[in-house]
Amino acid sequence: MAGFTVAEAASGAEATQTARIIRPRLVLLDIQLPDFDGFEVARRLAAQEDKPVIVLTSTREASDYGGQIAASPAAGFLPKDQLSGAALIAFLTRRPR
Amino acid sequence: MSRRLRNILIAGAAAAAVFTVVTYYLNGWPQPPGPAIYVITPTLVLLAYLGVGLAAWQRYPAERIGLLFTMAGYAWFLPSLTQLHYPLPFTVGIVSGALYQAVLAHLALAWPYGRLRSRVDRVAVTVNYSFNVGNNVVQMLFWNPRTNGCGTACPANLLLAHSSSRLYSTTGTVFSVTGVCITAAIAALIAWHWRSARGYARQAMTSLIWVAIPIAAYIAVLGIPGNLGIPGLVLYGIGPLILIAAPAAYAISMFRARTARRAVGAALVDLEPGPSPARLRDALARALGDPTLQLAFRIPERGGYQDTSDQIVDPARLPAGRMLTELDAAGNAVLVYHELMQHEPELVKVTVTAASLALEHARLQAEVEAQLEQVRASRTRIVEAGDAERRRLERDLHDGAQQRLVTLSLAIGMARSQAAANPELAVLLETAAAEAQAAITELRELARGIHPAVLTETGLAGAIQALAERSPVATTITAVPASRYPAQIEATAYFVVSEALANVAKHAAASSTRVTIRELTGRLVVQVSDDGPGGARPEGGSGLRGLADRVAAAGGALRIESPPGSGTHLEADIPCP
Repeated sequence: MAGFTVAEAASGAEATQTARIIRPRLVLLDIQLPDFDGFEVARRLAAQEDKPVIVLTSTREASDYGGQIAASPAAGFLPKDQLSGAALIAFLTRRPR
Repeated sequence: MSRRLRNILIAGAAAAAVFTVVTYYLNGWPQPPGPAIYVITPTLVLLAYLGVGLAAWQRYPAERIGLLFTMAGYAWFLPSLTQLHYPLPFTVGIVSGALYQAVLAHLALAWPYGRLRSRVDRVAVTVNYSFNVGNNVVQMLFWNPRTNGCGTACPANLLLAHSSSRLYSTTGTVFSVTGVCITAAIAALIAWHWRSARGYARQAMTSLIWVAIPIAAYIAVLGIPGNLGIPGLVLYGIGPLILIAAPAAYAISMFRARTARRAVGAALVDLEPGPSPARLRDALARALGDPTLQLAFRIPERGGYQDTSDQIVDPARLPAGRMLTELDAAGNAVLVYHELMQHEPELVKVTVTAASLALEHARLQAEVEAQLEQVRASRTRIVEAGDAERRRLERDLHDGAQQRLVTLSLAIGMARSQAAANPELAVLLETAAAEAQAAITELRELARGIHPAVLTETGLAGAIQALAERSPVATTITAVPASRYPAQIEATAYFVVSEALANVAKHAAASSTRVTIRELTGRLVVQVSDDGPGGARPEGGSGLRGLADRVAAAGGALRIESPPGSGTHLEADIPCP
C-alpha cells in the first residue's frame, strides 16, 4: 500500500516478535495461524506498549467464531473476500476503542 | 405294588378293623362291653398305620417306609387276637403284645425312607425285635393264666412249661431293666441321626423328633408299674391316639413333597426375569427347604465347578451324602443336593427343569443384552464416523474451494482498482466480483449445513449463539455452558437446537423461542421451548425422528411435549462423561 511500510509474519510467534520491533500502527491478523490462533496473538499485541489497531481476518465469517471476535481486543473483523486497502485504512481513521 | 397286593392289603386292613370291633362287642356277650372309646381309638390307630403304609407303599414303591407302617399296623393288631378264646391265637396275642413298639423303633431308625443307615442301626433293630418277642416268650414259659390273674376267663397258654409266679416276676424285673437299656440306646441313635442330618434330611428328622418324643413317653408310661396313676380310660382309651402322630407326620411330609414341587414353580414365577444364579439358588433352596442346595458352574480355567458362594465343587469327589445333576447337556451348570432328595425323583426332576429353564432364560437375556450393547456401540460409532466425515468435508471445502474463491475475489478487486480507465472492463470485473462473492456465500452456507465451523472453533456457546442470531424467530439463550465437550456430544446438542429452531421457524408460528443447555451430573440437558400453538406430533416428521435417533445414538433420550395451546417443549437428555 502506497505510503505505508508493510511487514509480514508467517506465524503467531513471529507476528508478536515483529510487532515488538517495528511497533506497527495497524495489524491485519489472520485468525487461522500455524501455531496459536489470531485471538491469542491479539491478546499479546494488546498487552504491548503502543498497542496497534488490530483487524482480524479469516476466510470464515465472523459468525463462525461466535462471540470470540467481540471479546477480543481487536478493533474489528474483515472477511478475507472483502479485504481492501480502503477498508483497512477506514479502521485507522476510526476513534480507537 | 401290584393291584392284587394292594387289594389284599386293603382287604386285610378292613378285616382287621372289623375283627377288632366285632370281637370287642361279642366278648362277654350278652353283658355290655366297656365304653366305646376302648375300641374306637385302637381301631383308628390300626387304620392310620395301615392307610398311610398303603399310601406310602404305592407312592414310593422302591422304599420300605410303606412296608414298615403296614407292619406297625398289623403288629398293633396282633394282641387283639387274645379276644379269641382259643389257646393258639391267645398265646400269639400275648407273645406279640409289645411287638408294635419294636416296629415303631425300627420305623424311627429307618426314618424317613425306610432304610437303615448303618450296621449299628441294623444290630440295634435286630436286638430290639429279638428281645421284644423273646422276653415275652421266656415269661410265658412260667406264666399260668389259671393261677396268675386270669382265672378260667383265659384260654390255655401253649408255651407254659413250668408254672411259677416267682420266676415270672423275677424275669419280668430283669427284662424291664434290659428293655430300658435297649430303648435308651435306640433313642440315642435316633438323636444322633437328627444331629448329623443336614438340609433336606434335617427337615425330615426334625418332624420325626417331634413325633417320637410323645410316642416314647406314652410307651414308657405303659411300661412303668402302676402307670403313674393315670386312669385306664385315659391310658388305653385316649392314649393310643398319640401313636397316630407318626402316620400323620408322614402323611404331612408326603403332602409337603407334593407342595414343594409346586413351590419350586412358584419360586421361579416370583423371580424377576433372568435372575442372578445366586438368587435362583436361594429361591430353589427356600422352595425345597434345603439350605445346603448348591448351584455350581464350570470354571474352565480351574477345570472344576464353583458354586454361587464361591465354593469349589469337584464332581469326582463329592462330600458324602451329596448328589449332583447336570443342568444342561454340556454340563456347564450342575445342581448339588442332599442324597435324600433322590427319594423324591419327581421333585429333583422339577427342580432341575426349573433351574435349567431359569439359567437358559438368563443366558438368552445376557446374550440379547450383549447384542443390544454391540448394536448400541456400533450405532454410536456410525454417528461419530458420520460426524467426523462431515467435519472433514467442511474443512476441505473451506481450505480448498473457498480459499481459492477468496483469492479470486481479491484478485478481481485488485484488477478493478486498475481498470478505472476502461469502463467496459470495470463493469465486467464488477459482475465477476459479484459472482465470486455469491459463490463464496453459497459455499459457506453449504459448508455450514455439512458441519458448523463455529462448533468446531468455539464449542456450544458460540455455535448456539450463532444459531440464535440466524434464527428468524426471536431466540433467547437462557444458559449455555462455556466448557467444551466431546465432539459427538457437542454435535448432538447442536443439531437438537438447530433442528428444533428450524421446526419452530417452519411450523410453530411462534413469536419467540427459548434455548437452555445445562450440564447436570453426568449429562447435558438441552431444552428448546416456543410460545406457538403447540400440537406438534413427535412421531411426525423425519426431522424429529432423525433427531431422536441421533440423541439415542449418543445414549440419550429425546422428549417432546406439545399440548395444544401451550407451545412446544423439546428436551434432550444426553449422557456426558
